Amino acid sequence: MDERIVRELRALCGASAVLDEPVQLLTYECDALPHLRQTPAVVVLPASAEQVQAVVRVCAREGLPFVARGHGTGLSGGALPVPGGVVISLARLNRVLEIDIPNRLVTVEPGVTNLEITRQVAPAGYYYAPDPSSQQVCSIGGNVAENSGGAHCLKYGFTVHHVLEVEAVLPDGSLARIGSRLADEPGPDVLGLLVGSEGTLAVVTKVVVRILRRPETVQTLLAAYDSISAAGTAVSEIIAAGIVPAAVEMMDALAIKAAEAAVHPNFPPADTVLIVELDGPAPEVRELFAMVESICRRTGASTVEVAADEAHRLRIWKGRKAAFAAMGRVSPNYYVQDGVVPRTKLPEVLGRIRALSERSGLGIGNVFHAGDGNLHPLICYDESIPGQADLAEQVAGEILTYCVEAGGSITGEHGVGADKKGYMPRMFSDDDLDVFQQVRDAFDPQRLCNPGKVLPTPRLCGEVPGPYREHPVERAGLAERF
Amino acid sequence: MTVAEQLRPGTPADAVDGVTPRFVAEPTTGAACAAVLAAAAVARHATVIRGGGTKMGWGRPVEAVDLAVSTTGLGDLLVHRDGDLTATVGAGVPLSRLNTTLAARGQWLPVDSAFAATSVGGMLATNDSGPLRHRFGTPRDLLIGITLALTDGRVVKAGGTVVKNVAGYDLGKLVTGSYGALAAIVDATFKLLPLPHASATLRAVYNDPAALAADAVALAAGQLEPLAFDIRASGTPEGPRWSLFVRFASSPAAVSFQIDAARALLRGDTTALRDGMEARAWAEQVALPWDGEGVVMRCSWLPSRLADVLALLDTMGEGGEVVLAGRVATGSGLVRLTGPDAPIAAAIARARAASSPVGHVVLVRGSRALRAQVDVWGAAPSTPAVALKRALDPAGILNAGRGPI
Repeated sequence: MDERIVRELRALCGASAVLDEPVQLLTYECDALPHLRQTPAVVVLPASAEQVQAVVRVCAREGLPFVARGHGTGLSGGALPVPGGVVISLARLNRVLEIDIPNRLVTVEPGVTNLEITRQVAPAGYYYAPDPSSQQVCSIGGNVAENSGGAHCLKYGFTVHHVLEVEAVLPDGSLARIGSRLADEPGPDVLGLLVGSEGTLAVVTKVVVRILRRPETVQTLLAAYDSISAAGTAVSEIIAAGIVPAAVEMMDALAIKAAEAAVHPNFPPADTVLIVELDGPAPEVRELFAMVESICRRTGASTVEVAADEAHRLRIWKGRKAAFAAMGRVSPNYYVQDGVVPRTKLPEVLGRIRALSERSGLGIGNVFHAGDGNLHPLICYDESIPGQADLAEQVAGEILTYCVEAGGSITGEHGVGADKKGYMPRMFSDDDLDVFQQVRDAFDPQRLCNPGKVLPTPRLCGEVPGPYREHPVERAGLAERF
Repeated sequence: MTVAEQLRPGTPADAVDGVTPRFVAEPTTGAACAAVLAAAAVARHATVIRGGGTKMGWGRPVEAVDLAVSTTGLGDLLVHRDGDLTATVGAGVPLSRLNTTLAARGQWLPVDSAFAATSVGGMLATNDSGPLRHRFGTPRDLLIGITLALTDGRVVKAGGTVVKNVAGYDLGKLVTGSYGALAAIVDATFKLLPLPHASATLRAVYNDPAALAADAVALAAGQLEPLAFDIRASGTPEGPRWSLFVRFASSPAAVSFQIDAARALLRGDTTALRDGMEARAWAEQVALPWDGEGVVMRCSWLPSRLADVLALLDTMGEGGEVVLAGRVATGSGLVRLTGPDAPIAAAIARARAASSPVGHVVLVRGSRALRAQVDVWGAAPSTPAVALKRALDPAGILNAGRGPI
């Protein structure tokens, strides 16, 4: 990076807000997908929207690629730096600006964590609905970029259903209000496009979210089954009965074992556990919960454990939400996959995944949002065994093929990022992808805003999608990735 | 079939805002639709996409229309995946037909349009909604996939058929509310909901708008979960009346419990409506702004300003009728005003003043003269919206200047 530019950035944002020492840059090499790494040229931590604008203007003028970063919890390499580029960390934009209980609105800066919003409004009896597993640490700006979901999105929807308005710095450095806290702003839904665009269209500097009144009652049960298909039948019957649970989650034996080892939720020994949660007015929950309980027993649950109190309920959720990280207890390495299938195809696809596990010899734990068909297979491997990492990568790709063949998607909530862009042609035609690029160019004609994410780039010959592996050409120092 | 062979001369039945288009195309496939649009783009023909034809008088007045592309021929596709709670439908399918089909399997697309003949494409293009948006949002919130025909002749898709999916840009949301100014919708995929087992509505009538506003606050602060929560204000020369409508839908016992709880909370004069009476009350509420003569404007407000909104309505009558039907918690509604154009134009200007409690004031229905005099949309499109229009419709042929972009 040109020393002149670094000096300019320091003048704009303050000396302590610009990092360019190699040891300082290490933190920013990757997000929560650690096998994709890239050192940025410089990291800037602006403290205001005006400073973000100033940094983006410098990038636009100098033709420097820039990547916005929240708290780095993304699972698809969406915040992976670009070689020679700038990382704009929004960590210092972390103020809660306005809490408007009568209108159920909270205005925050993008570095505020997801859970902080709920913390702020909980005393008044409100909460912010989207609840990704990382909600204690992930930023709301990152949630907007990824259109984050969570266990309760079956009933309550995703980030896009709860964000009303954002302020964003466009790739030319101008500031725009997109969306509106007032309903029915005339015109196309640009906000709906921006949410989930993975930081490729603009840098969000302010977010207005809708908060919800806390439901009067929440009831949760944990049912143990001796097969995934029996648990799947229970889910189908719950849906067919016209019940929309707040959450329907499943974990298989390997995931249960891992969760037990890590956080001891005291799950029953079973092939599959099903977690069902209902919320709402007490008489409604009471009546529907009795129906769910009877469906679980009728479909062959060996035990049905009803959370007796809030502590019990939280213990069940702790077991579920810890499942990813817990995989580390049962396997030296693991790869988290995120695919979606139509809910009715779950038994078929899970059967194929089990067969794949047996055929490949790699353990695959399954944790999934059964209500909406969002699978999170956890592929276990041991990097120290030659060839296993490559095998895990192939297995992960194979699972995505099953999802697409079943009419589903390559990602339900983790995003495409840098990790899955190579899989996009499996879901979308060349024309579809070309029009995505046109839409992106409408915001960012210079192609500087988080380049190399979401859309496949012309690949080096022999490059395969999946976890990053150094290409022989790169190893030889003959090429680098952009 | 060549593009020319697909065209027929327009007739008064094809009119857009009273203007007969020179030609009409009725493509039966997405590819044919895109081919017609591409030919129109080359010829720079002012083009309007037409669905059920229920909102053709909306927007800025139209001078001339070269081509109307009817989506009627895209009205056969209807795939209901009831086990997955999703459906894929052609743009030309009427919303009412879709819901009749879904109801056979106990499901629905919970959107209540005031227009019986509205097509799914038209519903999306205008982001049409009614009282059910209180619980379910607007069509954009239920849309999970889309196929579009573009003016460059291509047919593209975004999203998919699964309810959870973040792969690619959400072009479906982008075209929602675009009034056909970016692309033609070929088909759309929605997530569905189970039809409720039971439903009942509490109507509360007030003689004092402040009492209504206080009740609205009390209900919103509680933990009851209505399916719909509406306000009606109908001011006639005989005097204004204000009502709240609160609908609960769930299991029968839970509905009864919530009706009782709401009745205990509300200070207005309440009546519980069930079955046919309930259905009629909601049909009337949805139709209220549109039935009868007058200008219709859409406006929005912060829910906490409801009392101020009602006070504003008081100033708008000028001797004519003033009717509001709206969503209490969303803060949105339609206002119908009767009388000559001049005082109505002044009333719209007052509603748009900086100090006004309402925003996003759009003149939806009005005479051509009024729509020529008053800025229909009330605001210029945003920079990104303009850039997107240029990217997707570079020849600028779509929507014949009706707006909003």
